[in-house]
Amino acid sequence: MTALTRRPTTISTVAAAAATIVALLTAVIGSIEGGVLAVFGASLIAVGLFRSTGRVVDIGAGSIFVAVVVAGVQGLSTELVVVGTIAAIVAWDLATNAIELGIQLGREAQTTRLESVHVIASVTVGVSAATVGYGAFVFGSEGQPVGAIVLLVLAVLFLLSGLRR
Amino acid sequence: MNLRWSILGLGLGAFGLAVVQLAGVLEITLDQALLTVVGGMLLLAAFNSFSRRQQERSVFETPDPEHRATVPVPGHSLRETVNQFRRERYDFTSGSQRIHEGLHGAAVAVLTRFEGLSNEQAVERIEAGTWTDDEYAAAYLSPTLEVEERPWQDRVAAFLDRETSFRQYVRRTTAAIATIGYGGLGDRRLPKEIPQYDPEEFENVRPRTTDLETEGVVERTDRQTGYWTGVGGLALVAIGLGVLSQTPGVVLAGVIGVGYAGFAHLSRPAVPEISLERTLSVTDPEPGDEVEVTVTITNESGSFLPDLRVVDGVPPGLAVVEGVARIGTSLRPEDAVSLTYTVTARRGTHDFDPALVLTRNLARSTERTFHVASDTTVVAKPTLRPLVTDVPLQAAAAGFAGQLTTAESGEGLQFHSVREYRRNDPLNRIDWNRHARSGELATLEFHEERAARVLILIDARKTAYLAPEPDAPHAVDRSVEAAGRIAASLLDAGDTVGLAALGPVERDSNHQLRLQDTCWLAPSSGPHHRMQLRSLLATHPQFSTEPPATDTQWRAQLRMIRRRLGSETQIVFLSPLCDGGAIRTVRRLTARGHALTVISPDTTAERTTSQQLARVGRRIRRFDLQRAGVPVIDWPADDTIDEGIARANAGGGR
Repeated sequence: MTALTRRPTTISTVAAAAATIVALLTAVIGSIEGGVLAVFGASLIAVGLFRSTGRVVDIGAGSIFVAVVVAGVQGLSTELVVVGTIAAIVAWDLATNAIELGIQLGREAQTTRLESVHVIASVTVGVSAATVGYGAFVFGSEGQPVGAIVLLVLAVLFLLSGLRR
Repeated sequence: MNLRWSILGLGLGAFGLAVVQLAGVLEITLDQALLTVVGGMLLLAAFNSFSRRQQERSVFETPDPEHRATVPVPGHSLRETVNQFRRERYDFTSGSQRIHEGLHGAAVAVLTRFEGLSNEQAVERIEAGTWTDDEYAAAYLSPTLEVEERPWQDRVAAFLDRETSFRQYVRRTTAAIATIGYGGLGDRRLPKEIPQYDPEEFENVRPRTTDLETEGVVERTDRQTGYWTGVGGLALVAIGLGVLSQTPGVVLAGVIGVGYAGFAHLSRPAVPEISLERTLSVTDPEPGDEVEVTVTITNESGSFLPDLRVVDGVPPGLAVVEGVARIGTSLRPEDAVSLTYTVTARRGTHDFDPALVLTRNLARSTERTFHVASDTTVVAKPTLRPLVTDVPLQAAAAGFAGQLTTAESGEGLQFHSVREYRRNDPLNRIDWNRHARSGELATLEFHEERAARVLILIDARKTAYLAPEPDAPHAVDRSVEAAGRIAASLLDAGDTVGLAALGPVERDSNHQLRLQDTCWLAPSSGPHHRMQLRSLLATHPQFSTEPPATDTQWRAQLRMIRRRLGSETQIVFLSPLCDGGAIRTVRRLTARGHALTVISPDTTAERTTSQQLARVGRRIRRFDLQRAGVPVIDWPADDTIDEGIARANAGGGR
């Protein structure tokens, strides 16, 4: 009888690792504090993937996200902050996905198509959100950029919570 | 509703202001103070969203249809195992007292059987503690003996081992009883070390996708997975910090987070209009053959299914030996995907359960589960291949020519004796050699060969669904397999063979047992009878490879079988002999004068104390039957039925 290995699936794990490294690099470039926090987060993601515990991955990826934000506050360039943020969220998404697929289907099952769709969807969402936000930032950079962006963000937030349910 | 509209209005207003400012029509200057207020509010909102009780992310755990339904190992509960050695069972003694009584009873039982002591002698020896070399065992059962104080190293080791002295005593006493119990029949070696006290822990296996009747596609659950829980809060933190520190990059990071939070609410998974088709490489395999199963899943709807997770409903009686019965995929309209795995066919009728299909939206925030039925059945009929050795029958025979060689002289093949010629003796029986030598006429006599009328009785009660390991072939599987082989051998030799079972029967609406459901095929012979036998063994519900849910009411069945049995019919009883019911069955049948042979598939193990005690119990039952003149053929778990019977024949079985 072949027993199922309920470990995180391969493709998502590899993609999550790659995204973690990208996010880690941007945070390290940004500041020392951010770098330290990101290294801590990355090691938590590794532990979480190894032991198949989603909660540890949550904390790890959250730390990397905060690390990128801290690096941004301390003067990392806007482009790198955007890249780092997308990478941090993609890493979190794919690591969680790998664990859940491992629990439900196991590592041996064919999941290539499913995982590829997940990777593409996850990256696409981040890139499109960033494009919209970055576009607004570039357009409004002559006037009062932060003010315009804040207004836009508030608009999105209000609309989202109003439209929900 | 009002709140919702005002929130929407605020959002639209903010959007309009932003557009106006970006277009440069109106210059709005947000000064430092306002920015600080907005940033602080955002951070508060983020804190609020984290502190609120949020939906936990949760995963739907899938069942394990790849596994077979498991059966218990004899001795899975120490309490029940100990009870079989106790005299009075219906009293209110404490657990430890019960174990003590049981072990005392077991010690007396093995001493009287295998050491040739009388009951009083055995009790005396136990009280004096001279029955074993193990001082712990001796002290546990004796009221007077004490163990010398253990050296402190032992006590520390026992403390670290978390083993109480009670457990230590029970383990060692059982091992001491087993030493005597195993030695009695001389063919089993002792385990090297004393087995563990704690019961074995097995993985909790759910071998079926569902017990519910399913037709077509049926939705079972629809839930939020909470997959993106927390991302909105993080986004608010980033925006708040970005506004406070006036860094556009950090605000952008928050915007990306908001994007993901919005993505989570974008869509809902549709009801998957999918079809599922199974093809088998062989539809009527022989037991033990490998069957390749190919499952094709087709998206019949006109829309894209981004996330589809399928766990196929492998029947609980079959185990996957190669490949995986699961797949995760996404399907475009009219697209199809297939998965292939291999199962080993086991005897019986196996219906595939509906497949479990999980579908999520692209963001994986909503998950719906469905059962998709597709009727597929594997029927594996046992082969009626004769045994390589003779079936050990007893010398009780019917009046027809057949396999059984009797002690009486008459027609036959095997030389019996020479007697004086009498008139009218047939010419071909005259000993012509002797006539040529001496001129006398003498007649040869042969052992008369007669047919036996045999009923094969299979113990298929719930208590017989036992195996040395939870997913190993259990006693009923092995008994049915052996029954087919034995029946084939006997039929080939010209004997008449019947088939009956003690097994689960359902009750009708008046709570009466439906005794007509008991398997019964009267002894007979011929090709039609052979076919009937084969199909009964394959498909009769009493021989199901899945263990029954409730205890079996077997006494009425036994009475019915006894009434139907012809007086000179002999019985081959297939039973694991793991409870008192099997012994009572044998007693009741032999009391009516039926010659009876027990063939007993061994299902006992000795990985734990309780299993070891169960094995001793079976040994004692076997010994008692043999002492009462009933031949018992022990069929070890790793032998084929041919080997088991050949070994019994070599040891002078008949």
